[in-house]
Amino acid sequence: MTSRLLRITTFVLLAAGSFLLADGCWIRTKAVLAQILLQHAWQESLDNKGKEVKPWPWADTWPVARLRVSRLGVDLIVLEGESGEVLAFGPGHLPGSSDIGDSGHVVLAGHRDTSFRFLQYLKNDDLVTVQRADGVTERYRITATGIYEAERLYLPQKKHAFLSMITCYPFDTVQPGTSLRYMVSAAPSAAAVNSVAEERL
Amino acid sequence: MTEKKKNGGSAAPDPGNVLFVVYVGFVICVILLGMAVDGYSGELPDSPVQQDSKKIRQGELLYAGDDGKLIRAPQLSQEVEIYISAMTARTMVRQRFINNTRSWQEAVYVFPLPDESAVDQLLMRIGERVIVGDIKEKEEAKKIYETAKKEGKKASLLSQERPNIFTMAVSNIGPGEEIEIEIEFQQVVRLDSGVFSLRFPMVAGPRYIPGAALSNSGEDGGKLQFSGSGWAVDTDRVPDASRITPPVALKDEPERNPIRLMVELAAGFPLARVESLYHGITVSDGVDGVKLLHFDGVVKADRDFVLEWEAAELTEPRAALFGEEQGDDSYLLLMLSPPAQPVTEEALPRDMVFVLDTSGSMAGPSIGQAREALILAISRLGRRDRFNVIEFNSNAVKLFDHSVAADAENKERAVDFVRSLEAQGGTEIARALDLVLDGREDHGRIRQIMFLTDGSVGNEEELLKMISSRLGGSRLFTVGIGSAPNAYFMSRAAAMGRGSYTYIGHSREVQQKMRELFRKLEHPAITDIVVKSSSGRKLEYYPGPVPDLYAGEPLLVSLKLPGGVAEEGLEISGRMGMQLWQEKLSLQQLAGRPGVASLWARKKIRSIMDSSAQGVAEESIRRQVVSIALEHHLVSKYTSLVAVEEKPSRPVQEKYVSSALKNNLPHGWQADAIFGGTARTATPAHLRIITGLLLLLAAFFLCFRKRLFR
Repeated sequence: MTSRLLRITTFVLLAAGSFLLADGCWIRTKAVLAQILLQHAWQESLDNKGKEVKPWPWADTWPVARLRVSRLGVDLIVLEGESGEVLAFGPGHLPGSSDIGDSGHVVLAGHRDTSFRFLQYLKNDDLVTVQRADGVTERYRITATGIYEAERLYLPQKKHAFLSMITCYPFDTVQPGTSLRYMVSAAPSAAAVNSVAEERL
Repeated sequence: MTEKKKNGGSAAPDPGNVLFVVYVGFVICVILLGMAVDGYSGELPDSPVQQDSKKIRQGELLYAGDDGKLIRAPQLSQEVEIYISAMTARTMVRQRFINNTRSWQEAVYVFPLPDESAVDQLLMRIGERVIVGDIKEKEEAKKIYETAKKEGKKASLLSQERPNIFTMAVSNIGPGEEIEIEIEFQQVVRLDSGVFSLRFPMVAGPRYIPGAALSNSGEDGGKLQFSGSGWAVDTDRVPDASRITPPVALKDEPERNPIRLMVELAAGFPLARVESLYHGITVSDGVDGVKLLHFDGVVKADRDFVLEWEAAELTEPRAALFGEEQGDDSYLLLMLSPPAQPVTEEALPRDMVFVLDTSGSMAGPSIGQAREALILAISRLGRRDRFNVIEFNSNAVKLFDHSVAADAENKERAVDFVRSLEAQGGTEIARALDLVLDGREDHGRIRQIMFLTDGSVGNEEELLKMISSRLGGSRLFTVGIGSAPNAYFMSRAAAMGRGSYTYIGHSREVQQKMRELFRKLEHPAITDIVVKSSSGRKLEYYPGPVPDLYAGEPLLVSLKLPGGVAEEGLEISGRMGMQLWQEKLSLQQLAGRPGVASLWARKKIRSIMDSSAQGVAEESIRRQVVSIALEHHLVSKYTSLVAVEEKPSRPVQEKYVSSALKNNLPHGWQADAIFGGTARTATPAHLRIITGLLLLLAAFFLCFRKRLFR
């Protein structure tokens, strides 16, 4: 009797454990695989002068920008929206913030354990490039990093181009729903002042 | 969860024990249930960050008001009464906390007061009852307040976060109840170039918080520090950031914290002009030449109130002396306008460095005013002068590598540069100071630094230390820009930098205020000022040593005469360029004035606090400040006022909510905002992988045991 119970328990544990492990790994794999599909959609979007191209037929989002940090080898396609479905595939552009390419405050959000894990390694003066759907590339320089409470994370609208990237904080905790956010802000790189440094990059 | 699982495994008794199996099954059920509610509920009970966030979230519970709208926090309305008498003013601020929510509330309000205000009175009014606040050491006062709060008693605590930022905490405001807090303080009227002025700030503007987030990685296991109710995390450079950054109301939110204000102005001489610079005000005549002023209705608290008045010609007093007896001692406040400085043939050749703050908080009208002021200053440079321009936000950038001659070409280039500047980014004043202060005594000419900023920073002490240690022969002139500049920082920076400070609150003031500043820059200052008793008795006076006086500035010192006034006078001497200046004052006609002793104590506290910039140990400073503050009943960095009701009013079993009251965004600040906190920026992947691995481990463990006991 007990041995049977134990066998069932073992089986249940095995099944549940495998499922959770696989699911956890899948979330991460999905984020990596999706970016490959997204690169294709992005290229198509660029070829068609900024047309909104859905990466797969049933997607409810489309690529809006390509985000690169050469120092960290980061190359990501940014999607429109901030829902869980969008963020599962890559960083998302907050619809409430300015459109990429418009002058104003552009806000991106991404998962701390997949797409935006690299935010923790960004330092002041790091160079971030954003390629817009019309092919133009904008350069930003990191000006600030900080930790904020999600509930009070009101970002000022700006008259000029400004980029903020948000992810969950702390980075290395297993708990998924924290109330803190890590934010990295970047201002357009002042070409005249920093042109020498940029050439080197 | 993971903890439980481990314990369950290791504490397992005989494998044949059914209870063990039931327990394992139960743990699995709990885990699976947890997953079913989508990972997000899978919170670790021991996570310190989680405990933090629970504490923080308390204030965000929603309660429906009578009109069906959601009310989160008690509301606040304020009444301010200012009584100005010649050179001193006593202000009464009544803060009425009204709880329209359905729960017991604790209200925490972070608010500004004039820098240098000597706060000596706290009254708590509950209906008819009045409770008078006691002065205690800060930690003790906090303990008294916290105990009262727990016991359900109404209590209020007034503590100082910065010399111009205070926190009022009021506990156990019942549903539908109202508690009125009255605080009183003493301040000195400012006199500059014949214009008397008084500033009353109404909003603690958001400040730039530099530095890395603090966490006690040691004992507390990497806990992030939110010691206060603000939006910023404490950092290594601003360890109390969360206490000086009250939440800010956005543009689309209803107006809050309405203020009624009245002023009784007894200048002591016929007036040529009385003007409120930024608020509509009605002026009427009282008896004996006293002017009565009041706001037209209620005013939104979003910018500093500034009152200016001027004496009718030739009636302006050149010297004034006020006294107060306290115990055996006499305290004096002396104001003396030195004679006009001699005009030199041609202004001395100078090396000017203009430093302009182009941080995000300067966006809007502020940057426009600053640009205008700076262009005016550049155009004013003489042929023999040299200059440079430095712009800073998150970084500091020099226009020229070295100071250049102020010829037409260079001036034009500088003006073009200034015109092109936009406001964005952080406020790293330290980087600008690093570029401009070289510690050198001799630059071969007079080196003057004009620093234009709103001073919206939280790391004032760090910056003041830097100025004090690296000033050398340079002189620092601060120009405060905007509707709610950090007046404390601007005036202290100027004092440490041995220069003067100027405020520009509106673009229409730029011309006039800058003209006054140019006069100061172009005339030699009065230096080496000493105040002595004619009988040789030792005097304790503040500020000591007396700072250099620039054109138009009066000498203003607080003195203590131990043992009271005797038959003697005061002797004041100083140097004006090559000439000596000396004056004698009799102590016979002393106008009695309550509050002069408080002002002396406040100045003494400031002087002690300033010694930290010279490297005096914190503990020694604390001891000295506590002793003087307790004696004079003053709120300081180390002492707070606390008032507690005798009987509890909240039944202990009932819960209360703690709310941080919002400040308005300063007038003219860019208020449109994007809410960035909605996105769920973490996946449960990590949690699932770990839980999955643990379950597999448990399965193998069971397998192993089975084989072992078979």
